[in-house]
Amino acid sequence: MSVLTKQAPGAAAALAAQPGGQGRRGHSRRTNQRSGYLFLLPWFIGMLFTIIPFFASLYLAFTDYNLFTEPNFVGFANFQAMFEDPRLLQSLKVTFIYTFVSVPISLAVALLIALILNRGLSGLPIYRSVYYLPSLLGGSVAIVMLWRYIFGNNGIVNGFLGLFGVQGPAWVTDPEFALSTLIVLNVWTFGSPMVIFLAGLRQVPSMYYEAASIDGASRWRQFCNITLPLISPIIFFNLIMQLIGSFRTFTQGYVMSGGTGGPADSTLFYNLYLYQKGFTEFEMGYASAMAWLLLMIIAIFTAINFIASKFWVFYDN
Amino acid sequence: MKKTTSISIPRRIILGAALTAAGVALSGCGGGAAPAGGGNVELNFVFWGDANRAKVTEEALRVFEKKNPGITVKTEYQDSGPYADKLATRFAGGNPPDVLAMANRSLLEYAQRGTLADLKSMPELNLDKVPATVQSRGEVDGKLYGLATGVTSIGMVVNKTITDQAGVAIPDDKTWSWEDYAKFATEVTQKTGGKVYGAGYDVATETGPILLARQRGEDFYTEDNKLGVSEETIRDWFQYSVDLRKAGGYPPAGFFEQIGGSPAQSYLAKGTVASQIIPINNFRGYNEAVEGDVVLLRIPGETTEKRRGYSADPTMLWSIAAKSKHPKEAAKLLDFLTNDADGAAHTLTQRGVPVNPEVAESITSKLSADDKTFVDMMAAIQEDELAPAYVYPKGASVVADTLKQLATEVEFGRVTPADAAKTFLEKSNAAINK
Repeated sequence: MSVLTKQAPGAAAALAAQPGGQGRRGHSRRTNQRSGYLFLLPWFIGMLFTIIPFFASLYLAFTDYNLFTEPNFVGFANFQAMFEDPRLLQSLKVTFIYTFVSVPISLAVALLIALILNRGLSGLPIYRSVYYLPSLLGGSVAIVMLWRYIFGNNGIVNGFLGLFGVQGPAWVTDPEFALSTLIVLNVWTFGSPMVIFLAGLRQVPSMYYEAASIDGASRWRQFCNITLPLISPIIFFNLIMQLIGSFRTFTQGYVMSGGTGGPADSTLFYNLYLYQKGFTEFEMGYASAMAWLLLMIIAIFTAINFIASKFWVFYDN
Repeated sequence: MKKTTSISIPRRIILGAALTAAGVALSGCGGGAAPAGGGNVELNFVFWGDANRAKVTEEALRVFEKKNPGITVKTEYQDSGPYADKLATRFAGGNPPDVLAMANRSLLEYAQRGTLADLKSMPELNLDKVPATVQSRGEVDGKLYGLATGVTSIGMVVNKTITDQAGVAIPDDKTWSWEDYAKFATEVTQKTGGKVYGAGYDVATETGPILLARQRGEDFYTEDNKLGVSEETIRDWFQYSVDLRKAGGYPPAGFFEQIGGSPAQSYLAKGTVASQIIPINNFRGYNEAVEGDVVLLRIPGETTEKRRGYSADPTMLWSIAAKSKHPKEAAKLLDFLTNDADGAAHTLTQRGVPVNPEVAESITSKLSADDKTFVDMMAAIQEDELAPAYVYPKGASVVADTLKQLATEVEFGRVTPADAAKTFLEKSNAAINK
């Protein structure tokens, strides 16, 4: 039975076969396929809501659409205008700084915590949940508001610094510090890469470590020569996901600055600026063009990562 | 086959991530207007504001429904930021509300794109009692696209309990200059030992410089919808706050955190500042939120500068969508909101002093002492010879954002007031009427 379904063509059939792989009888290949497609149906419907706006936005990127009147075709004018838009450059700068500072730090923290949790603590599920919780909440409005209070002038952080006679900076309202505060928030939500690291670490066969210990390899060497190479596909996966997520940051900047990207454009994320262009300045054509530029940027960075991965990601087969 | 090699796990995780992503894509936005049923007309009426405003509005609408059988009104309200976004998408999606609240700074954007109905062309709406000066604030090319919900202005509120304890006399607001205000604020800070800052107004809100410009004989926005304020006025507006901060009357950079707009969340209510500039229709809210005695004063400079800066400004505007399916009923509702004393008995001065003087008269007996203070001040202001005021131009929201951004730059000393003023004019002129 299970052999038969595994030979069935298409991912749908393979998916459908998974839950009922054992013990079920009388299912023809066709029934399996049908239920497979049935399970995929929501996904297909969802795709429609993605594909239609996708092509609509591609068209609008070449128009001067203002939301109210019919769009006019303007060729590459939107893309040309981007090069002369200082706020666009500022938003790119903010997004790049945010990404290239927070992604490596949050991956390192996630891996470190995963390593600690992997050492057989009692009550592991509790720790896992506790560390994972911020990831679920991190992008939410409530948490960003909470962050504002924690880092506010009368917040816990400055209150704590005050105990030592240190006058803390205006974390949220000073343009020099506002972005750093958001970076700290992002690093704090290391939970989701951490859980994935943890799953990967648990899959590293213990016999490798046993063999290494017998050979007298130190913990550090074991980590560098066994753990890192074996979980490198997971590091790679986390890196890509974090990078893409970080380029698309919106909520944190929107809530923290009350939608302005302030103070003084210091938290003007690319997506936040895109949103402002589309919905407060009614330049939906320009906003669409911006969306496509972002797609290209993400594609380029992902491609670079895939090419680079050949040199540091090891697959075990 | 129980366990395979280490590779199977990450693949499964990747698959899981992909499925999650697809699920997220599914959860789009829903909603939509329900169709009217059985001869009964349902109007969609949207506005921005808080729960209290919604409550009194609903009460008034029940009166309207009773007086107009066959019309029901369905309302929606949000905070002003999300409201503006949602409004734009609804118009873009071809599903505009019938009657809506419109911000002064957005009127022209919507009107010039043909999305709003000319209110003068609607016989159901009686405009006889609405003064021409009020109407002019919603007129574009001779057509009326927005009707003031009420009028208001800005004013200075001072927590008299604090100033009394500090032993600082509040200057006479009928004659005070901007220098007097600075001196007063600095004295408050000194005499409270720096515990309370004398001044706490928001430099980044456009209403301040609009008033200052008028006091100096300029129009911030001109009759032909351009930016008329001079670089000098903007520079002085910024410089004033910088100097006041240096003197100690105004809090240090980074002090103000935008947490919420309600009086209860204000620094005046927290007791860390002694004075603030507010839209004066909110006076009652401040007096209730602040522990102490709050007094309402005129803006400084009204008699010491070239001319009066005050004008009776629409708090916000009512508009009707050009594509409303029920324009007659929508006009009836607007007529009710403007001319009906029974409705106004519930909403009182929630949206400013009613623009129909008879309606305004009819509610005075029902007003609390604080609301009466506001109405009286509004009336007193209008007795003076006031300079004209005009519709905000297209792009006014960008001007407001630019001002906010530059105010922060100046606050942290990253830009001099002179450079900020120069940049403000460049950016604003580029954004207006584009």
